[in-house]
Amino acid sequence: MQITRRRALGAAAAAGTFAIVGRARAEDTLKIGVVSPLTGPVVEPGRIQLNSLRIATDQVNEAGGILGRKVELIVEDDQSSNPGAVLAFSRLAEHDDIVAFIGSIRSTQMKAMAPDMLKAAKPVMFGGTDPSLTHLGNPWLFRCRPNDSYSARVMTNFCLTSLKLSKIALVHSTDAFGTGGEKALLGNLDKAGVALVLDQGYANNQPDFTPVVLAVKSSGAEVLTSYFTNEPDCAVFARQLRQLGVRIPWVGSYSVISPVTRGLAKNALFGTYGIADFAEDANPTAKALGAAYRTRFNASPDNGWTYDAMKVLAHAINTANSTDAAKIREAILAIRKFPGAEGEFNFDENGDGLHGYNIVVNNNGAAEFKEHIEFTD
Amino acid sequence: MDVLLQLLFTGLGIGAIYAMVSLGFVLLIRAAGVVNFGQGEFSMLGAYLLVVFFNVLGLPYLLGMALAIVIMAGFGVVFAYATYWPLRFRGGLPVIISTIGASIFLENMVLVLYGPSSVQIDGLFDAPGIQVGPVFMDSQYLSILVIAALLVTLQYFIFEKTLLGKKLQATSQDKEMASLLGIPVVTMVMITFAYSAAMGGLAGMLVAPILFVSVNMAGAIALKAFAANIIGGYGSIPGAILGGLALGVVETLGAAYISVPYKDAFAFLMLLLFLLVRPQGLFGERIAEKA
Repeated sequence: MQITRRRALGAAAAAGTFAIVGRARAEDTLKIGVVSPLTGPVVEPGRIQLNSLRIATDQVNEAGGILGRKVELIVEDDQSSNPGAVLAFSRLAEHDDIVAFIGSIRSTQMKAMAPDMLKAAKPVMFGGTDPSLTHLGNPWLFRCRPNDSYSARVMTNFCLTSLKLSKIALVHSTDAFGTGGEKALLGNLDKAGVALVLDQGYANNQPDFTPVVLAVKSSGAEVLTSYFTNEPDCAVFARQLRQLGVRIPWVGSYSVISPVTRGLAKNALFGTYGIADFAEDANPTAKALGAAYRTRFNASPDNGWTYDAMKVLAHAINTANSTDAAKIREAILAIRKFPGAEGEFNFDENGDGLHGYNIVVNNNGAAEFKEHIEFTD
Repeated sequence: MDVLLQLLFTGLGIGAIYAMVSLGFVLLIRAAGVVNFGQGEFSMLGAYLLVVFFNVLGLPYLLGMALAIVIMAGFGVVFAYATYWPLRFRGGLPVIISTIGASIFLENMVLVLYGPSSVQIDGLFDAPGIQVGPVFMDSQYLSILVIAALLVTLQYFIFEKTLLGKKLQATSQDKEMASLLGIPVVTMVMITFAYSAAMGGLAGMLVAPILFVSVNMAGAIALKAFAANIIGGYGSIPGAILGGLALGVVETLGAAYISVPYKDAFAFLMLLLFLLVRPQGLFGERIAEKA
């Protein structure tokens, strides 16, 4: 086909029209910025979180959107690293029309991004569980998972009250997550007047845990508690623990009960208790998310915090009846008894939305919901 | 005493893993004068091949291992043509950079194909191990120790007692002279790459039931295996073995009796000490400039 001046002008005019329509459509949407691992080693859990977020976004849009506008997600890749997360957030912060953000499940990434989030001065929903994140003096951070002080509290209560065992050993990673959990557990045990018989840190990505296992074995502990960051580390430790004959009850943070660890360690983890923020049988919202996830992705979700983050944001912005950041913040802080997949949201003045955890037991390889423990003080 | 014996067994098991990967480094250093930073990725690829043959296709374990070793040998030749051959006249550094680039490519290729999640694979034996007095001997660690000993013997025999080994060494020392003497230099280099890749792949398959199979499974091990190579004596076969075993025992005992979080630091502290006090390593020769 010969290109004539008239055809060229016609094509340019059509392209211009599409651009104007496209811009108008883009301006009609309400934008939420999302920092998510699209590449790198934690891309798989990142994909599950993004899937749950998309389910919530579609449900919000089907129900009429936010302030009558469709929600549009602007996703930036954090490359599974702290520098990547900082870069991803700075890219999102350049969009003036983004109303709020959904941050990271990784505490260390949240700490890295927190100064830029303070400058952006817009609400950020996040999933990192290091308790200090909501005590950084940053009023824009809102946590959609229970923090580690609650997991430590549940761990303490479960060991002392349910299992009635007070000689407790702790194995934890020496990264931000592991030391955060350690501090929280020590604080709770201290309140109960109990001292750990072993407090053993380890560096991530170890091929062998024999020295740690032998330390647990010789400590005289009646029950083992743990904060493992990486699931393969937890699986290697579990296998060596059982091989070297340690059979005491084990109450761990989520990694001990996650599908990946259960798949790797198999029977070495049978009978262990996990402190989990998400359990499908814990409440009707979690059940509904599980069903929707299976229908759409033919798999089960292992968390619901991004789903809750979108639902909480939609509720808060609609309640505030404004996209003004300060008004949204006030509306989030006023949320009470909001049913989420991770639990009932009651935001406190620090920005923590959830105040309880589930206890899940590994029953011959299947994670079974045992009980939910909620704190009101 | 019981604890010490258990720690020694585990340290030797971990050390044998370092030693096996270190042997792959040594082979290429001796025969082709090349430091291959893709050695860890050879191990990772070998482990994934075993996953495909055993977990996915359901072939018998040993047949799966044999097939994986053959494929890895072929891959070694492809790797040589891609990373070494075009740069063979440009000195060591470009080849090192080339192998680093290839290792990044291989890691990302596997990441795209299999994703980042670790995969569980069974060990050589159904039994988890045997209890000998106070010491529990993990069956996979025992397998690694035995196979590492056999490989050391085989490698020593090939290099020191066979014509092929002499040709490989001659090729490493002076390619032009070796060529003048009628040694097929290209074939020698390719054989070395094939053997090194097969050896790396085997190490990965043996480690896989302990560490699980993942893209990053061999990164830290390859780094320590290279450190073992320096400690044992750069390019020395007995040095690689002894360096690997020493590294495994030192870091395990250091973790148990001094500090678990600083376990990795003990290995590299040992490397630093050797570089300061005995840079030629345990079995290396002092290098001096010719007058």
